[in-house]
Amino acid sequence: MRSIKKTFAAVQALKGVDLVLHRGEVLGLVGDNAAGKSTLMKVLSGAYIPDEGEILIEGENAHLTDPLHARRLGIEMVYQDLALANNLDITANVFLGREAVSAKLGPFSIMDSRRMEQEAQRLLERLKIDIPSVRQLVERLSGGQRQAVAIARATAFDSKVIIMDEPTAALSVAAISKVLDLVRELKAQGASIIIISHRLEDIYSVSDRLMVMRQGRKVRDARITESIDDFRERVVAYMIGARDDFASIEAG
Amino acid sequence: MSFMDTLKAQRHNVRDYGMYIAFVAIVVFFTVATKGLFLTSRNIGNLVNATSYIAVLAVGMTLVIVIRHIDLSVGYLAGTLGAVAAISLKYWGVPVVPTILMVLALGIVAGLVTGFLVAQMRIPAFVATLAGWLFYQGLLQWVTRGTGTIVIDNEIFNALGNGFIPDIDIGILPDVHKITLLLGLLAIVAFVVSEVTNRRKTMSYHFEVLPMNMFILKLAFVSAVIAGVSWIFAGYQGLSWAAVILIFVVLIYSYITTKTVVGRHIYAVGGNPESAQLNGISVKKITFLVFGSMGLLTAVSGILYSSWLRSATTIAGRGMELDAIAAAFVGGAAVAGGVGKVTGSILGALVMASLTNGMNLMGADISVQYMVRAFVLAGAVIFDVATRKATD
Repeated sequence: MRSIKKTFAAVQALKGVDLVLHRGEVLGLVGDNAAGKSTLMKVLSGAYIPDEGEILIEGENAHLTDPLHARRLGIEMVYQDLALANNLDITANVFLGREAVSAKLGPFSIMDSRRMEQEAQRLLERLKIDIPSVRQLVERLSGGQRQAVAIARATAFDSKVIIMDEPTAALSVAAISKVLDLVRELKAQGASIIIISHRLEDIYSVSDRLMVMRQGRKVRDARITESIDDFRERVVAYMIGARDDFASIEAG
Repeated sequence: MSFMDTLKAQRHNVRDYGMYIAFVAIVVFFTVATKGLFLTSRNIGNLVNATSYIAVLAVGMTLVIVIRHIDLSVGYLAGTLGAVAAISLKYWGVPVVPTILMVLALGIVAGLVTGFLVAQMRIPAFVATLAGWLFYQGLLQWVTRGTGTIVIDNEIFNALGNGFIPDIDIGILPDVHKITLLLGLLAIVAFVVSEVTNRRKTMSYHFEVLPMNMFILKLAFVSAVIAGVSWIFAGYQGLSWAAVILIFVVLIYSYITTKTVVGRHIYAVGGNPESAQLNGISVKKITFLVFGSMGLLTAVSGILYSSWLRSATTIAGRGMELDAIAAAFVGGAAVAGGVGKVTGSILGALVMASLTNGMNLMGADISVQYMVRAFVLAGAVIFDVATRKATD
């Protein structure tokens, strides 16, 4: 993403942000509320169209028009409220909007239910997600399992980039470690991931690189090499504006 | 797994089975209380004819409720469409088939208008269809203002609500309807064959299936029910055309809601509209579709009702929308949306109609009838909420 700008009415939410994501990399994205991280991710996932700037996918300019378009190009978003239909089973949720079709009957497309169940089962196995049956209704799953299903859905269709918005918020400690294991598993299988979180220890434990945003700008972008204590202290300093790596560059 | 364990494992399905058990209990109760009168072929035949126009509405209403809306306009719309059919047949001299096709098309148009108000103009369905309720009540009075009740004398049209499928004379079983029995037999064969192939295919994919003993029990039970119902129908004049139409509606709608992509999307929109939209499902399109289908089924209902009465009256359809809504809720639809089956709504309609019919046979006062039905409606929803909680 190159010098992305986005303005809402009088508020300049993004003031020219660059973001690079390498293949097989986990990027942690942090920032205070209203720092612009969610807006930036909505631009990347096609929900917002930027006022200025461009998005390059494998070197090619992509003019994202809507979330479906982004999804076709391999960019998947795991929303904070998960966007699952609780009244449907796991298979139905994984394939929602992308159902496998076995035949057409006039205006009706007949679903290939068995194939979808089988693929959903394989997907859960591949990601080592421990849920006994893909026929479980999502409303019967725990918070961690729901998060896992939402993430599994994002990976089901050869996605290149997976954006996770607060995947560990509102989860128990045990569930958090499972979700983080899942992130590592995805990375091991070659996915590129952007993870937004307020929980700095989660970011620290799974991310290769950290990006901090403040007031619509990028203030830090560096590999994570320090210890957890130094990391936490430094991130907070960037978040509150005490430090800024890009201030001089932009001023000059 | 032992047989008892399997039964226990099915406990979470109590919500689905509860309704069937309640229905059987009601049938048994009225059969005993009326000394067998309730379960006579003649009574059941009449009961089904008198339920069909509500049951058809209940199917459409269930889908409307699934996508978190409601439709109060369908009663008088059915009445109005019935009046249009009567006028077309009697005063315009249009033959039966074009009349029916025209009424069905008008139903779809009326449904799409409701869909437009709800999906496009964003008027809450309760308000939009309350306006429809007023409008069609007025329209019905307007179209019948010169004539009053229109008596329909077209025998083919009237057969839809009153007539029975033909029979053949093969020299044996003179007092039973052979074609009805034959159809029942075919239904059993079709059911068993489809269940067995389905089970085989599912096993070939290494997915769990019912254990063999449970599977056989299920086959035997459903086959016995089909056989029993066929036998009852065959004992009077056979299967009525209304029952045939109802069965068609149920089969088609069950198939669409459970096997097709659009059916899946209807439930997805009901469960979480934001999620559906994010996943590329057009909530607007589904809303139009569901209200369009409601309109179509309202037309079917209007045709069945006016045919059954052999006339179109100035107050036809009054209160039918509430009976359909009650049937949908008794049948397991949830106000919160996303939940409700086509088969459930039919069962709900049958439960409510059986109560009325049974209490009538017992000579119960009409005031008592209303109160009993109130308890059943409230009880069904309480049961539904309670079992939903228990399985969470």
